[in-house]
Amino acid sequence: MTPIGPQHYLIVSGLLFSLGLLGVILRRNLLVIYMCLELMLNAANLALVALSHFNGKLDGQIVVFFIITVAAAEVAVGLALIVALYRKRQTAHVEDLTALKL
Amino acid sequence: MNYSLISMEIAVVLLGLGLLLADLWLAPPAKVRLGYVAAVGLALIFGWSFTFSGTPSALAFSDMYVLDPLALYFKRFSLLAAIVVLIMSVGFAERIAAGISEFYALILFALAGMMFAASANDLAMLFVAMELITVTFYVLTSFQRARLASLEGGVKYLIIGALSSAFLVYGIALIFGTTGQLNFDQIAAVASKYEDNKIFLLGVFFVLVGLCFKIAAFPAHIWTPDVYQGSPVPAAAFLAVGSKAAGFALLLRVLFTAVPGITNGWNHLLIALAIVTILYGNLCAIPQRNLKRILGYSSIANAGYLLLGVAALNNAGRAAILYYLGGYLFAVLAAFLVILIVMNDAEGEDISVLAGLNQRSPLLAAVLTCALVSLAGIPPLAGFFGKFLLIRAVLDEAANNPACYWLVAVACFGVVVSIYYYFGVIRAIYWSKDPPVLSPIPVPRVLGAALVFCLLGMLYLGLFPNHLVETTQDAVKFWAGR
Repeated sequence: MTPIGPQHYLIVSGLLFSLGLLGVILRRNLLVIYMCLELMLNAANLALVALSHFNGKLDGQIVVFFIITVAAAEVAVGLALIVALYRKRQTAHVEDLTALKL
Repeated sequence: MNYSLISMEIAVVLLGLGLLLADLWLAPPAKVRLGYVAAVGLALIFGWSFTFSGTPSALAFSDMYVLDPLALYFKRFSLLAAIVVLIMSVGFAERIAAGISEFYALILFALAGMMFAASANDLAMLFVAMELITVTFYVLTSFQRARLASLEGGVKYLIIGALSSAFLVYGIALIFGTTGQLNFDQIAAVASKYEDNKIFLLGVFFVLVGLCFKIAAFPAHIWTPDVYQGSPVPAAAFLAVGSKAAGFALLLRVLFTAVPGITNGWNHLLIALAIVTILYGNLCAIPQRNLKRILGYSSIANAGYLLLGVAALNNAGRAAILYYLGGYLFAVLAAFLVILIVMNDAEGEDISVLAGLNQRSPLLAAVLTCALVSLAGIPPLAGFFGKFLLIRAVLDEAANNPACYWLVAVACFGVVVSIYYYFGVIRAIYWSKDPPVLSPIPVPRVLGAALVFCLLGMLYLGLFPNHLVETTQDAVKFWAGR
């Protein structure tokens, strides 16, 4: 059995990232899209932590803390926005975002 | 640790916090005037920034932060934009239901993000500065919670923004994973070893995609018209000027400080990005009737023109970007100021609202015409000289790369198309048949002063470009020689 190396972590994080991207493209509910975006951020976090371990440098793990903090701020603002939109339109589906068109 | 280097940013953040505190004690009418306080504070910081001019490039915070002439140029640019935007916000205050002081404070926090972005010399710094700008703008764009258009614009900005920051973060992870470095200078030192490494190249490409969102260029441009149309006028203006400039500051640093070798190898990709962005922005603007939407598409087109300077791959191109941004600042802010004043008077943002503007207020008509003429690139205003410098820089490179001729041809075609749709607006101002209203539009004195300031800026940069051209060339030369 081969030991787990950086490439395994990269494959898993790449899979997570692609799943998140697929979700953003295919799903129609704003909240689910937002969850998929978080999944993409966490794919990057996983890659950073793992590669930072294999590089023998801590910088990557520090960046992960920044990313978690910023993602928390982004979620706070984002959920507030989605809730405000829901109150106004009674919907959280992307098909209903049609006020702004040509 | 050298805190004196970030003293300007600290001052901006403290000013923002001060506004939030002052909000607790002031009566509502006084809160509106806090915008002037903030603008005066920023003007003082703008003056203070000239005391930093003599210092050569200085690094701080384990080389994450750099203060050089290039950073100073972008900092002054953002400060100037924020001053005009704050004055606009005071004029916009009556249409913001609650929390006008928060609106001012958020503008200041976004400004702090732009100033940090101007000095970023590290991928972590780049990420934090960019997110500070983006998350603040999520709130600014959707500030008119009662308007569905504002909320919808905000949500669209949020989804595309979060998507592109996910790309940016993953790109950072891949770059760090392969090189083990986050600092631009250290990446540059090892990048030549990784030029064939697919993972590293993918990382750089993802970072490029993330930055294209900020500058509103293909492939992350799709949000621009909707968000411009939906957001409050001052937020849209700040988005068009400050956010785009910060994006270009980061793009220049990443492409030419961190990975210059790869950038030179990717010249065809950069040319393709510029071509698609110019064509998309200009062609899609033709059928538009909403003035803010037209400016949104024009903002995409202008990102394309600015990418010309990146694709030129020479110092002249980079200096031309800085000059072009200077002219763009005055033209776009002037256009949004006129929109603000005219739309204060009438609801709706359709071009037809401008009918008879010439009789209603000759000043507004003249300023909007000059702004559009400058954006279109007709002499003698600043936009013409900026485009001239950009195209000349690309032609300098054309000897090495024949694809540059295509780029120049597309840019010229874009200019012709843009004259067509800008002229549609100018025709509405001067030659509308039977304008419905002819009552004069009152122009508040402070907004009028801001208008004249923008007009003078456009004329000055167009007629006497030498001073700014020299400044930008010195800044770029100094940065390239570091």
